[in-house]
Amino acid sequence: MANNASVIEDEVMAFMQLNAVDDAAFNAMALRLFKHQAQLNVPFQRFCQMRGKTPRTVTHWHDIPAVPINAFKDLDLTCTPTSSCERIFMTSGTTRGDIKGRHYHPSLFVYDLSMRLNFEQHLMQKMSKIRMGILFPTVDMMPNSSLAHYLKLALDHFGTQDSSYFMGPSGLDLQGLSLALNQAQQTGEPIALLGSSYSLVHAMDTLEAEGIDFKLPESSWLFDTGGFKGQSRDIEADVFYNQLSNRFGVPRSQCFNMYGMTELSTQLYDAGNITTPSIKRGPHWLRTRVIDPISGQEMSKGERGILAHTDLANYNSVTTILTEDVGVATDDGFVLLGRAQGAQAKGCSLAVEDFLQAARL
Amino acid sequence: MTILRFTAGYVPGIAHEDLSWHILEYGTSDTKLEVKVPILTSNQILTVTQGIKSAAQSQIKTMAVSDIVRAIDLAILRLLDVNHEDRKCIDTLLPIATGMDATMLCHNFSQYLETFRTLQLHRFITEDFTNPKMLDEFQPRITGGWTKAVGADLITHIWAGNVPGLPLWSLISGLLVKSGTIGKVSSAEPICASIFAKVLVEVEPRFAGCLSIIWWPNENTHIASHLFQQSDIVLAYGGNIALAAIQNQVPVTTRFLPHGHKLSFGMVSKSALSVVRAKRIAAQAAMDIVRYEQQGCYSPQMFYVERGAQVSPQEFAQALLGEMAALAHKYPRNSLSIEEASNIASWRESHEFAMLQTSAVQVLGDKKDAFVVVYSDVPMPLNPSPLNRCVTVVAVDSLQVVIPLIAEQRQYLQTAGLATDPETLLQLGGALAQAGVTRICAIGEMTSPAAGWHHDGRFNLLDLVNMVDIEASTEVAANQLTNYEL
Repeated sequence: MANNASVIEDEVMAFMQLNAVDDAAFNAMALRLFKHQAQLNVPFQRFCQMRGKTPRTVTHWHDIPAVPINAFKDLDLTCTPTSSCERIFMTSGTTRGDIKGRHYHPSLFVYDLSMRLNFEQHLMQKMSKIRMGILFPTVDMMPNSSLAHYLKLALDHFGTQDSSYFMGPSGLDLQGLSLALNQAQQTGEPIALLGSSYSLVHAMDTLEAEGIDFKLPESSWLFDTGGFKGQSRDIEADVFYNQLSNRFGVPRSQCFNMYGMTELSTQLYDAGNITTPSIKRGPHWLRTRVIDPISGQEMSKGERGILAHTDLANYNSVTTILTEDVGVATDDGFVLLGRAQGAQAKGCSLAVEDFLQAARL
Repeated sequence: MTILRFTAGYVPGIAHEDLSWHILEYGTSDTKLEVKVPILTSNQILTVTQGIKSAAQSQIKTMAVSDIVRAIDLAILRLLDVNHEDRKCIDTLLPIATGMDATMLCHNFSQYLETFRTLQLHRFITEDFTNPKMLDEFQPRITGGWTKAVGADLITHIWAGNVPGLPLWSLISGLLVKSGTIGKVSSAEPICASIFAKVLVEVEPRFAGCLSIIWWPNENTHIASHLFQQSDIVLAYGGNIALAAIQNQVPVTTRFLPHGHKLSFGMVSKSALSVVRAKRIAAQAAMDIVRYEQQGCYSPQMFYVERGAQVSPQEFAQALLGEMAALAHKYPRNSLSIEEASNIASWRESHEFAMLQTSAVQVLGDKKDAFVVVYSDVPMPLNPSPLNRCVTVVAVDSLQVVIPLIAEQRQYLQTAGLATDPETLLQLGGALAQAGVTRICAIGEMTSPAAGWHHDGRFNLLDLVNMVDIEASTEVAANQLTNYEL
């Protein structure tokens, strides 16, 4: 089994390192993984049977059954036995109380390569390293967080020696952050601040309360991810990037947002947030479709639908997942419009979503 | 592409051009509907509320309640005439605004209007007032003294758009107690209330100054709080979160009557599960689900079905599925937003995952069906569905075990639809009432509450009045102050 897994890993990594791939190559690799997963990932196999899709009947990657992200909460979606998996990433579990989605990784070779290739291309702007400030807990503090691991990779591979975390067990290290930003301002050496959207908001609020703002050197950039769940996203995002830009003196074109999920092994990025919502793009081993959640049919361009991602770096779980995110397809990516869980009944019949929302209050 | 335009609202005392108008848009790429709704400034709110209070004093409060009933009946009669322009307008616009099937809407609306004919309205009144004349003048009390029911000067209604025509209940209730009315229509359905107001004023000119139909965006808390300051009662329908936001703005001196989220369900006993009976009950249950797309507070979301009869609970679930399929053909499901579709898909899928782990749960039918029936062979607590024709059928050994299964939802319980023999009905009635259910009716009638029902267990009219007493001592004292001597 382990041997089998490592063969697949090598194939996927070779695929990711190609410069570009055509439709046929993507399809072939996707079907190769589908066959592998339909054979070894037992709950997925049963899910496919229920949907009447088998490696024999599926000839196009569009037809691979998309697994709803909720399934990661109920099922162990893995080709390798869970006991021999090096790492389990878990969701934060905001919608169904304490039940968390689990994503099993036999090793992190593929995950890490996916992250590095993609991060370099979308964020590093031809620099090999940049000073980084991380506004998120460390891996030690959050061992099951894919984001904590991701940010550690960023720091280890693309951060200069003087990069550091400004979030400790007692919260934001305001003093350390201010010191680093002041230094950057004085030396003119660019700096990148990375964190969750929440942690950046928190940092901005704290700096504002102290009356501190910065004008960071050219080529500095800001990175946020996660968004603001349950808020009206468009307005919020616009205000957020204005504040971010003003507080740190970094243009909105240098404020990047990453779209990532525990259930994926690859992230998507925009090219700055001059206007919101921005277009998100993935690398050649990830493709996104915007679909009608009931029929599974792709929506026509420009129409709102639910995002389904086929991520070939998900070699051990399932390549294709159905999110709860609403988006619109563009020529080379998609625009994220928010979460579908915001749907509410028009009136006084208690609907399941209102119920969850009420339970969270 | 056809674009239809409709001007909603009714604002007496302010010229059309002095109001600002907001356009609400509905429809598909083929047929669009633009509805103009009036938004008032703070000054205009003051003008309108003062105008309504003074018109109410001089007009509606001087009418006998029987005259008001007659006027309402005339208005309802006009709307029942499907050939009348006003009714045609409703029949044309409502399907576009709500996305619901036109035939079903037309049928449901007529049936609904019939609850407001003269005889039903008198029943409505008698339900709350043993002596309806107390709405007109002081009436003697058996224990001595006199009492008069005095309607509020101004009631503000905030309506939801889930059930087309829903505003008529509270609007008519307000008229029957001779109150001035300001109604806020919902963005989801601003049409019925606007047309009803227009018809009312045409059939009874004395109503002209006594009511107004307006709209404001939910985020504009300024208009709301300004209006609530002027109101004696604020009556609101909606989700609990929206209601909490409204409640925050209502002054303590104003009575707040919220109609929040509710959860309704059905129960089918062994006695109803012969082959012939089960088919009929399944058809009636399907109608209860399909009517208003489960958006009503009284719409069923789960059915508990007793084991041990000729037709098993699972077979009942299959029969229900068949009836739902037939209705999907006759009355297609309303168009869904992506959010609604996603909720339905993930609800269905979550049960499919359960199927992978246990054989006790089954998702019946096909993923692409415009309805979902989930069957559970094991007891399951009452839980809401994502609506829009999603229902769970739960097998139970006896209907008595349902009582603890609904206990958790006590604060949300409303209607229980029953298909049982008389003995079971008597046994269950008390237990359901104890559990928090406020309405028990036949399956098939769940979405058509009887005239004068106690909505959410409350009084339609009594909650809208103040009882004013003249105590006996007043008369005794007055008799000592006559200008004649005995």
